[in-house]
Amino acid sequence: MDSEAYSTELSRQHKAFSPSRVWAIAGNTFTQLVRMKVFYFLLIFSALIIGANLLFLSFTFEQELKILKDVSFGAMSLFASIFAIVGTALLIPKDMEDRTLYTILTKPVPRFEYLLGKLMGILLLIGVSILLMSLLFFTVLYIRQHGILAEKIASLPRHASETDIESFRESIFSRGLQPELLLGVIAVFLKAAVAAGVALFVSTFASSTLFTIIVSLVVYFIGHAQSLALDYYFTQGELHSAGQRFLAGLVGVVFPNFQLFNVTDGLTAGEVIPASLMARLVGLTAFYLTIYSLVSWMVFAKKEL
Amino acid sequence: MADSSTPAVQIEGLTKVFRLPLRKEKVVAIDNLSLQVGAGEVYGLIGPNGSGKSTTMKVLLGLISPNAGRASIFGLDSGDTASRGSVGFLPENPYFYKYLTGSETLAFYGKLCGLSRKEIRSRSDELLEMVDLTGARNRRLGGYSKGMLQRIGLAQALVGDPRLVVLDEPTAGVDPSGSRKIRDLVLELKRRGITVILSSHLLEQVQEVCDEVGIIFNGRLVREGKLNDLVAIEDQTEIVLQNATPQLLDGIAGLVEREDCAQLLSCGHPRTTLERLFLQEINEESKTGGQDT
Repeated sequence: MDSEAYSTELSRQHKAFSPSRVWAIAGNTFTQLVRMKVFYFLLIFSALIIGANLLFLSFTFEQELKILKDVSFGAMSLFASIFAIVGTALLIPKDMEDRTLYTILTKPVPRFEYLLGKLMGILLLIGVSILLMSLLFFTVLYIRQHGILAEKIASLPRHASETDIESFRESIFSRGLQPELLLGVIAVFLKAAVAAGVALFVSTFASSTLFTIIVSLVVYFIGHAQSLALDYYFTQGELHSAGQRFLAGLVGVVFPNFQLFNVTDGLTAGEVIPASLMARLVGLTAFYLTIYSLVSWMVFAKKEL
Repeated sequence: MADSSTPAVQIEGLTKVFRLPLRKEKVVAIDNLSLQVGAGEVYGLIGPNGSGKSTTMKVLLGLISPNAGRASIFGLDSGDTASRGSVGFLPENPYFYKYLTGSETLAFYGKLCGLSRKEIRSRSDELLEMVDLTGARNRRLGGYSKGMLQRIGLAQALVGDPRLVVLDEPTAGVDPSGSRKIRDLVLELKRRGITVILSSHLLEQVQEVCDEVGIIFNGRLVREGKLNDLVAIEDQTEIVLQNATPQLLDGIAGLVEREDCAQLLSCGHPRTTLERLFLQEINEESKTGGQDT
C-alpha cells in the first residue's frame, strides 16, 4: 500500500471514541489496583465490625444494632473515600513518572479516553470494594439480629405466647437488616465517586502522588465543612456585598458538598430517606463527575508531557 | 493530502520553547528544526544530553505541541490522534505495569490499537518469539531484568503493526549482550521495511544500523545525511589482508613509495572492539549454562 492510501486508511479506521479502548484502560486500572493487594483492607473492615459487635454486647439490642450499623457505614464511607482519593492519586501521576503514559498516548488513544478509562477503573474498584464490605456488613448484621432474637426467646418465660415472640422479632428485625440500608450503601458509593472525580482533576495538574492526595483531602474536608460555613454566614446575614455572595456561591460549586451524602446517620437512626433525596444525590454525583471530568480533560488535553 | 512519495516523517521549521515556572526565562529546546525520513529508512538522531532529541520525538508523537512549525507522520499531522495508528514508541527507561505479565502487557496495548482477541493472541505469540521472551510470557514484569523490559517495550511498540517505530535510547542501561539483541531487532525491523527513528548515545550502534543520521545540538540540526557519505573519508582507502607476510607488506609499502600522489599512513593489526570481545566471552560462557538477561 502506498503512503497516500495508507494515511487515508488510517484516518478512516480511526474512531474518535472507542468504548473498547476506554474499557481496556478501565480493566487494566482495576487489575493493577487489585494486584496491589488493596483488598487486604477487608480484613481491617471485618475486624472493625466484629469488634464493634463484641464491644457493645452489654447495651440494649436497639443500641447494639445501631452501633453496628453506624460503625459499618462509617468504616465503609471512610474506606471508600480513601480508595477513591489514594487510588486515583496513584494512577495518573505514577503513569507520568514511569513514562507509562507515553506508551499509552502514543497509541491511537485520545486523552479524554485515557481519563475516562482511569475514572471508570477506579469507580469499578470502589464499587466492588463497597459490594464486598456490604456483604460482610449485612452478613454480620443478619447473624447478630438472629442471635439477639434467640437470646430474647431464651430469656422469655415459658408461657410466652407466639404473639410475644412475633412482636420481639418485628422489633428486632425492624432495626436490623432492612432493604433501606441499600440506600445508605448507594450514598456511600456516590460520595466516593465524587471524591474520585476531585482526585482525578487534581492529578491532571499535580506533579506527584503526594500532592494529589493532600490537595484532594483538603477539598474533601472543605466539602464537608462548606455547607455549614455557608449556612452560618447566609443565615447570619454576614455576606453583604454581591462579591462576597458570588465567592460563597463559587465555593459551593467548586467544592462538592459532601455533607449532603451523609444520609447514613439518619438511616441508622430509623429515619426514612425520601426517593427525592436519593434522586438529588444521583443527579449531584452525575453533575460533579461531568464537571470534574470535563475540566480534567481541558487541563490534560493541553498538558505538555 | 499525501501522495505516493510521502515521507514517513516530515518535520518543518519546528520550534519548541519551554517557559520556566515562576521565572521569565525561556528555554529553546528545538530551534527551527527540519528533517525528513523516508519510508523504510533507519534514521539515527544523535546529540548530547539536552540537545533536543527527546523533545523532537515528543512533538512527533503528539505528546507536546510545537510553538512553530509542523511535524507529520505519513502525511498526517502529528497532533492528529489517527497518525499514531501507524506508530510504535519505546521511551527511554520505560516502566510498564509491573503487575501485568508479558502476555497481559501485549494484550493491553493490543486492545488500545483496536486488535481483536484473535489478532492479539497471534500477534503476541509472534512478538514474544521475536524478542525472545516466550519463556517469560507468564511472568509479571516486576520480575523482568532491564534488558527484558526493553525487549517487552519493543514488543509493545510493535503490537499494532506500525510502519514507523520511534526508539528513544533503546539500549540505555542495558548490558552489551542485551544491547546487541536490541540492535539485532532493529536490523530485523529494517529488513521488514519498517521505518525506524532511533536516538542513542552509543554511536557505534547507530553506525551499525542507521542509513541516515542527523546530529542535533542546542535544538538545531547541525549535520544530516546518508551515514556512508558522512563517515567516509574520501581521500583515504582501507585494504585489509589476511595472513600477509612481512615481505608482502614491504612490497606494498615500496609500491606506494614509488607513487608521488599516494602516501601510506599506517600499517598494523586491526583491533576488535571491546564489545565484540565481551560478547565472544559471554557466548562461550553461556554455552556452559548461562541464563537469560
